[in-house]
Amino acid sequence: MLKPVLLLLTGTLFLSLTATGNELPDGDEIARRINARDEGVAVARHLTMRMTDRRGKTRTRETRAFRKYYGKEKRTVIFYLEPANVRNTAFLTWDYPDADRDDDQWLYLPAMRKVRRISASDRGDYFLGTDLTYEDIKLETRVSMEDYRRRTIGEDTVDGHRCYLLESVPVDKATARELGYGRVEQCVDSDIWMVRRARFWDTRGKLLKTSHFRDIRQVQGIWTQHRIEVENHKTGHRTLFLFRDVDYEHGVRDELFTQNALRRGL
Amino acid sequence: MHPGYTCGAGPDVDQILSLRWATRIDDGSTQLLDLGWRPEVRWRFDDGGRLTARLRLRMQSEAGTRPGDLERGSYAPATRPRTIGDRAELELRELYYERPMDEWYLTIGKQQVVWGKSDGLKVLDIVNPQSFREFILEDFEQSRIPLWTFNAERSFHEAGGDWTLQLLWVPDRSYHALPTQDATYAFTSPRLVPQASPAIDIRVAPPERPDRWIKDSDAGLRLSGFVAGWDLSINYLYQYDNRPALHQKFQPGPVPSVEVAPRYHRTHVVGGSFSRALGDWVVRGELGYFTNHYFLTDDPEDKDRVANSPELSYVVGLDWSGIQDTFVSVQLFQSWLSSYQQGFTRPELDTSATFLVRRRFWNDTLEARSLWIASINDGDGLLRPRLSYELEDNLELWAGLDLFYGSRTGLFGEFDNNDRLLVGVEYGL
Repeated sequence: MLKPVLLLLTGTLFLSLTATGNELPDGDEIARRINARDEGVAVARHLTMRMTDRRGKTRTRETRAFRKYYGKEKRTVIFYLEPANVRNTAFLTWDYPDADRDDDQWLYLPAMRKVRRISASDRGDYFLGTDLTYEDIKLETRVSMEDYRRRTIGEDTVDGHRCYLLESVPVDKATARELGYGRVEQCVDSDIWMVRRARFWDTRGKLLKTSHFRDIRQVQGIWTQHRIEVENHKTGHRTLFLFRDVDYEHGVRDELFTQNALRRGL
Repeated sequence: MHPGYTCGAGPDVDQILSLRWATRIDDGSTQLLDLGWRPEVRWRFDDGGRLTARLRLRMQSEAGTRPGDLERGSYAPATRPRTIGDRAELELRELYYERPMDEWYLTIGKQQVVWGKSDGLKVLDIVNPQSFREFILEDFEQSRIPLWTFNAERSFHEAGGDWTLQLLWVPDRSYHALPTQDATYAFTSPRLVPQASPAIDIRVAPPERPDRWIKDSDAGLRLSGFVAGWDLSINYLYQYDNRPALHQKFQPGPVPSVEVAPRYHRTHVVGGSFSRALGDWVVRGELGYFTNHYFLTDDPEDKDRVANSPELSYVVGLDWSGIQDTFVSVQLFQSWLSSYQQGFTRPELDTSATFLVRRRFWNDTLEARSLWIASINDGDGLLRPRLSYELEDNLELWAGLDLFYGSRTGLFGEFDNNDRLLVGVEYGL
């Protein structure tokens, strides 16, 4: 009697393993692959942000952005160069690997001549008029492992590239409120483990915005996005992020990621 | 120059054109018409140095807020704005050279040095004096008086934190620029101005400015750092108090008079500041202990009606950003005189509070904000609602109200007649 049962169990297990082999990869595994992708230790680049409202009126911000890893700790700083009324505005964030430790963030507003401490729970706020949130800006091409539960829900094609569809849902309502998202669906290119499209739903389940990550090509051996198009479906507002002069090789000075650098500007 | 940063061959030039117009709410007359041009030029050098020059040309048409309505004797000659006719002034706002040099970062020239963490009212933001042409209504960026300063900073990592030591030497002997007696925002509160019966003539002499180039300079240091999530600073400043003591001398005669002699006095200032984010909250504060501040007294035993006391001032602020795009901030200010004397025209413990609400709409193109500053002791205050809209990349329109209330003897209530509606435009070139 025992033998048939063992055979049945073994058969079930075999079928299960076979099915798994054909199934889509686990959502967390995709997230880990995204986060394991080489981003270089440090990068310097010029970033243009072009914001267009539903009536077609456009505002443009020219910035210089730097990012550097210190082990698993990531520091990012953005300096505004143009136009004159926002020139010298600067934003600095220190992002810690410990999920229990809030990030430290500072904003320098030249009109006040003071570096202001910003609450890290502002992460769902939109970053200086764009359609990306402070959290989106901080994560760049990575995904948060702590804030979401995720699963792979299918496959799709974006700009001619086959992608896994990764669905992420905030771990709880408080996190959802903080992030401003009730659900995120990302299309992940499995060849290079980069997100090519992301859709965001608000906490009430309505489609909020769509981001397209385009002009992805290698710079100094590292896959790099050069164009992000974000459209907010609720407001009709759009933001185009254009990256140029991307440089991973020439190093970024540690002093840039300090409050002194925010005050002094570039 | 920072790695990877490329700059053009010529200097960077920015210009801001601004227009502000204010009408009195009580009679609809124009209180202020201020046209400004603020060019800024920056040169970069191959050695990593930068030279920055900022000018300000402003034309003010209305009596009471013109250049001549400000006491100009408090400026050092090299700092004083140049008047053009009686309605315009040209000011070299800043001119400084900065560059890293070994472990140090030097900024030398006319500049603003801003200390402290508070908004709207000042405890440690005292390195630079301030113009009170429009009381405290003008943006501090514009009302702060830049000084010729040697500023050296050195950063280091010690005791688990990142620290910066700042050394200041300020040979510029300029002090607060106060409105003249007939100016729109002339001080009348007995806290600040000697009071006399109408039969007594009050004559105000030019301020006695310290005139020794080295010996009368100010000097300071700040140690600031980031440790375990806290932004901290320890500050010290040896300065002439920017606010003159108004020594009085009674002159009997057929027409009795009081001669007021504004005089500046030395004080040591020791203080510190902190800030930290805690969830939705940011807690921040600053404290300053002034060893020698002078205050008016109406004690008849006091010959010059001025007496001194150490002063301890502090502010604690809480910022909350628990709702998207919304910022709420409250602050409590207190100032305590440790050698308070009967007769002082201000209270021993002076308490004020501020409340700020700000919300941004339409991808930060529209901002609504309201600031309320209240004196707890006198029951007077100031309410400042404001709406601003970024019409184009470089074009901002705004409108606001400045509403004073309370007793005419209070710091805010004394301007109860100056309630105004403002509109403005700022254009960047």
